[in-house]
Amino acid sequence: MQNLHIPATSYSPQVDFDFARHHLSLSGESYPENASVFFAPIMAALDAYLAPLDHVRITVDVQLAYFNSASTKAILAIFERLNAAAVAGNYVTVNWHSDPDDDTIMEFGQEIAEDSPALDVHLLALA
Amino acid sequence: MSLDHFYRFQDLARQQSVVFYYTGYFSQAIVSAMGDALRQRLNQTDASNVQRRKLFSVFIEMAQNVVHYSAEHLSASDSTDQEIRRGALWVGEQNGHFYVVCANPVAREQVGRIRDKLMPLLGMSNDDIKQLYKQKLRSDNDAESKGAGLGFLTVAREATEPVEFDFIDEDGPLSPITMFYLKASI
Repeated sequence: MQNLHIPATSYSPQVDFDFARHHLSLSGESYPENASVFFAPIMAALDAYLAPLDHVRITVDVQLAYFNSASTKAILAIFERLNAAAVAGNYVTVNWHSDPDDDTIMEFGQEIAEDSPALDVHLLALA
Repeated sequence: MSLDHFYRFQDLARQQSVVFYYTGYFSQAIVSAMGDALRQRLNQTDASNVQRRKLFSVFIEMAQNVVHYSAEHLSASDSTDQEIRRGALWVGEQNGHFYVVCANPVAREQVGRIRDKLMPLLGMSNDDIKQLYKQKLRSDNDAESKGAGLGFLTVAREATEPVEFDFIDEDGPLSPITMFYLKASI
């Protein structure tokens, strides 16, 4: 399927879903006016990509500097889908990058790890 | 308004250490541009990295609240994107703390709903607020909410003391519209 690339704006993240290489990445800022409008096509592409996968190694890199409350909900939904794909027999590694003095983003990475036991989550501090 | 009034207006802002003030119409483009300006302005203050992040977070949640919910809008009332709505927002510094205040008109019939969302937060500890946030984040959306329904909780979570709010009848008690004020200290 076609890769998904959405360039960053000052209020929305860069989305690089390289489905061919099984590498998904989200980076930048996320506070679009309407998070469900922004994330809907991303969710749809992710669902279409994950549905047929079996025994595939997927790497996910998240390096977000800020996300608002509505984006938080959408990001959680992305990880619920990835966890389901891991439960279904794939291997999903998540690299969650955050600024060491940003407790909120680091703790949210921890929560994702707790919520999604099938994911291999690595909490990484940005230098 | 004579120039003398403008001077008094500025002087009051200076006395209250207002770092940033905007009143008028809020759109996503304006929120984003103000956010950039606020970040640069905060870089010139003594605010710690943690304070800057919390302030920015509160600023965005409050400003996007105006874009989504202010009762006075230029965009169609049923739109959920590309909205432009009226409000005001202040950021100031007092005794080493920062505060963010926002004000926007709301329909009187919404007052009860807003009060019901905010009142329980006032007596809660920071840990309780975090727990409630976690729980709400994982529950279904409030039907009337355009975001995740987590805006007020996010503001309360970032704040270092309980949030303050009020409703002021600018156009008398019979007007269908009242002004909603919300203040958070960081």
